[in-house]
Amino acid sequence: MIGYIVRRLLGLLPVLAAAAALVWALMFLLPGDPARLLAGGQGADPEVVRAIRVEWGLDLPPWRQFVGYAARLLRFDLGTSYIQGRPVTAVIGDHLIPTLVLAIAATVLAAAGGIVLGSLAALRRGRAADTAVLTLALVGASAPVFWVGLLLIVVFASWLGWLPVVGYGLDGATLPFVGIRLPEWDHLVLPAVTLALVSMGAIARVTRASLLDVAGAGYVATARSRGAGRLRVFLQHGLRNALVPVVTVVGLNLAALLGGAVATEFVFAWPGLGKALVRAIALRDIPVVEGCVLALTAVYVVASLGVDLLYPVLDPRLSSP
Amino acid sequence: MNRQSPRAAAAWIAIGLPTAALLALLGAGACGRPTPKEAEQVFRFRLREDPPTLDPALVTDNLSEAITANVFRGLVAMDPESLDVVPAVAASWTVSPDGLVYTFRLRAGARFQNGRPVAADDVAWSFRRLLHKDTHSPRRWLLEPVAGAADFAAGRAGDVPGIVVSAPDTVTLRLERPFAPFLAMLTMSGASIVPREVYDDPAKGYRRAPIGCGPFQVTRWEQANVIEMKAFDGYWGGRPAVDRILVRIIENRTTALEEYRAGGLDSLDEAPENPGPDLAAEVHRYPFISVGYIGFNLGLAPFKGNAALRKAFNYAVDKDYLWNVLMPGGNIPGRGIIPPGIPGHDPDLPGYPRDQAKALSLLAEAGYPGGRGLPPITLWVNTSEDNRRIAQQVQADLRKVGVSIAIREVDWAAYLQAVEGTVAVPGQAQMFRFGWSLDYPDADAVLRLQLHSRNAGPPGNYFRYANPEFDRLVDEALVMTDPKARADNYRRAERMAVMDDAVWLFLNYYQSATLFKPYVKGIVHTPLGEFRIPLERLVIEKPAA
Repeated sequence: MIGYIVRRLLGLLPVLAAAAALVWALMFLLPGDPARLLAGGQGADPEVVRAIRVEWGLDLPPWRQFVGYAARLLRFDLGTSYIQGRPVTAVIGDHLIPTLVLAIAATVLAAAGGIVLGSLAALRRGRAADTAVLTLALVGASAPVFWVGLLLIVVFASWLGWLPVVGYGLDGATLPFVGIRLPEWDHLVLPAVTLALVSMGAIARVTRASLLDVAGAGYVATARSRGAGRLRVFLQHGLRNALVPVVTVVGLNLAALLGGAVATEFVFAWPGLGKALVRAIALRDIPVVEGCVLALTAVYVVASLGVDLLYPVLDPRLSSP
Repeated sequence: MNRQSPRAAAAWIAIGLPTAALLALLGAGACGRPTPKEAEQVFRFRLREDPPTLDPALVTDNLSEAITANVFRGLVAMDPESLDVVPAVAASWTVSPDGLVYTFRLRAGARFQNGRPVAADDVAWSFRRLLHKDTHSPRRWLLEPVAGAADFAAGRAGDVPGIVVSAPDTVTLRLERPFAPFLAMLTMSGASIVPREVYDDPAKGYRRAPIGCGPFQVTRWEQANVIEMKAFDGYWGGRPAVDRILVRIIENRTTALEEYRAGGLDSLDEAPENPGPDLAAEVHRYPFISVGYIGFNLGLAPFKGNAALRKAFNYAVDKDYLWNVLMPGGNIPGRGIIPPGIPGHDPDLPGYPRDQAKALSLLAEAGYPGGRGLPPITLWVNTSEDNRRIAQQVQADLRKVGVSIAIREVDWAAYLQAVEGTVAVPGQAQMFRFGWSLDYPDADAVLRLQLHSRNAGPPGNYFRYANPEFDRLVDEALVMTDPKARADNYRRAERMAVMDDAVWLFLNYYQSATLFKPYVKGIVHTPLGEFRIPLERLVIEKPAA
């Protein structure tokens, strides 16, 4: 198992190298001069623009810029933000925690809700509850995050006043050692539910299909014939064996949320990594763009690895990857 | 027997423990939240994005200014209502009869937020810092009229002979030549006075923890979330009534409005066009010294050398419909360049009210009868909902006189590149929408910076407008000391650029539209813009809960 993990982690290196090269090339090809923006944009003093280009090495030929960038990465140096003037690692650190908290909370909610709803639909196959769950799943998967978020804000924040409208909160606990603040729990609810609703439908559908699949398996019939209770058959023989594809969907969903929650972060003014990346692109803060993309790539690959490692826990037959 | 396998137990622990830890931390955060102090006055407003910088030497945008205007002070300040230059760190000043020597006497009792008194040496050091090439200040031109400043900025001299500390509380600035808007320029953020012991820091810690001598001090900056400022007890103008300011970073306009409605904000910029009966009384509208237009690229076909065509475009577009019907409540239909409230503004300037017959006649005169024969024309805008609506309306109006244009929407960085070009080569954009806020309340801040031929290309004249008579009038006004004669020069120059040369498609003069809760008192409707409302004058009179 340890050898497998090491092999997978080593496999991360070419993925990161490819992502690094690709993002560099894309930022290089993107029109717009970071030095001009740093020098004030409209009416920028050409002398100041020139000086900034020299300071950040933007005056060098492209191949030298790329070599410098690659050499930095080999030293594990992501560089310094053009705009904020501090290490990119610090910028990523500030935004990664909000993203992780939101993605984990949304995934836990989506998995719990999706598995319960999917199980209900499978147990009541062909009845009203099944139709209702399938319809809800379809609506959840099709509704734009932007729209769902605004709807929840209007109902639960503006009309009912139960929850705050937007933001991360001002007084959440601070993580020891790194000094990064966590959100206040009530600020987390609406964005997490918004994200969860979107993926809950897919998880419910997969759970339902997988449960129906294993319901006809021989070991379920055997358990029944041996007099096992309905709940025990469902939990121990049905649900547990049906969870392998569900874990895949949940894991990939978590990985996608870590980098793809931009719309939710935008609606709820959540200081996550996706929003930071979009802003860095707009400001041509190239080191931050490169650092965010590399961080998101690494997180995605590690999350996929986590999913793979969960398979043998759920199904011992998959223990030799 | 119901036996749980060790693998399943491990899975539950693996999932359950981090979740429980997360919930516990969040709960702890909620429980440990401090309760606000009883009588504390807190003012909360929104910025759509984090300010790019809090270093006053680097500020060029209004988001940054929203913070730095409250943290820093210069020798002089702009009265937010009258736009007169008034004392700030300097208690008084004199100007020599030839307009070359400015002597400032510092007020006793002015202190930085680190507790140290402000001295004349700080003024000299801050000004040298602004000019120094390593600072990369986009605002170093503020001090370029000072004798020797240009050489120092270029690295050709080790000091600025025009900046002299003549006593611990007196600083003298000697100019190369008279420069009428010099005092007004000293009111800008770039000319703020900063403490050397904080700003002479290679690690640049001041970028996140700025120290000035203004009424508020930045105490927290969490990216994409909040900036907190607290009242500075030692402010020379008296401690502000508001104890704490929370600047919430909320990008989305719709959710920001919901937050305002829900009571999470006391003020909101970008008030909605149709606020509805519940908010109508809370909208404050007031002029903003800024002008909106569509620039013509006079270096490219078909606008190059064809004033009749540019006039035809002006007559074809219905500015009244644009600002009174399509996008009401915000801007005022524009007729020219110098906004109302600025000396030189010409209320009698006819401009180009919509007139399709004139537009058609001018199109024929331009060589394109009914729009026939025109090459493909693209109107460039930078991405924003408002810009898109404006561009679509202009496109529709032009179509009514037979002119077809395409619209190209790109982000700000790509847009600037397409518009500016280089000094020698025009940008690729033939028409482009722009707004220009005057950095100081003087016609010089738009006429010279945007339209003088010396500034062709990236320095500001993206249109490549070159009219020697216009240049002469603007240059002459720069050194005039009689305000009436200056204003007259500017009026003549503006008429030339508007009525003779139609250098832009004149769209609007801006207005600020800001929401304020009724309990916020002391609001000054300043033409400097909603982010320059002096927060030290606000009082929060919230009824007891």
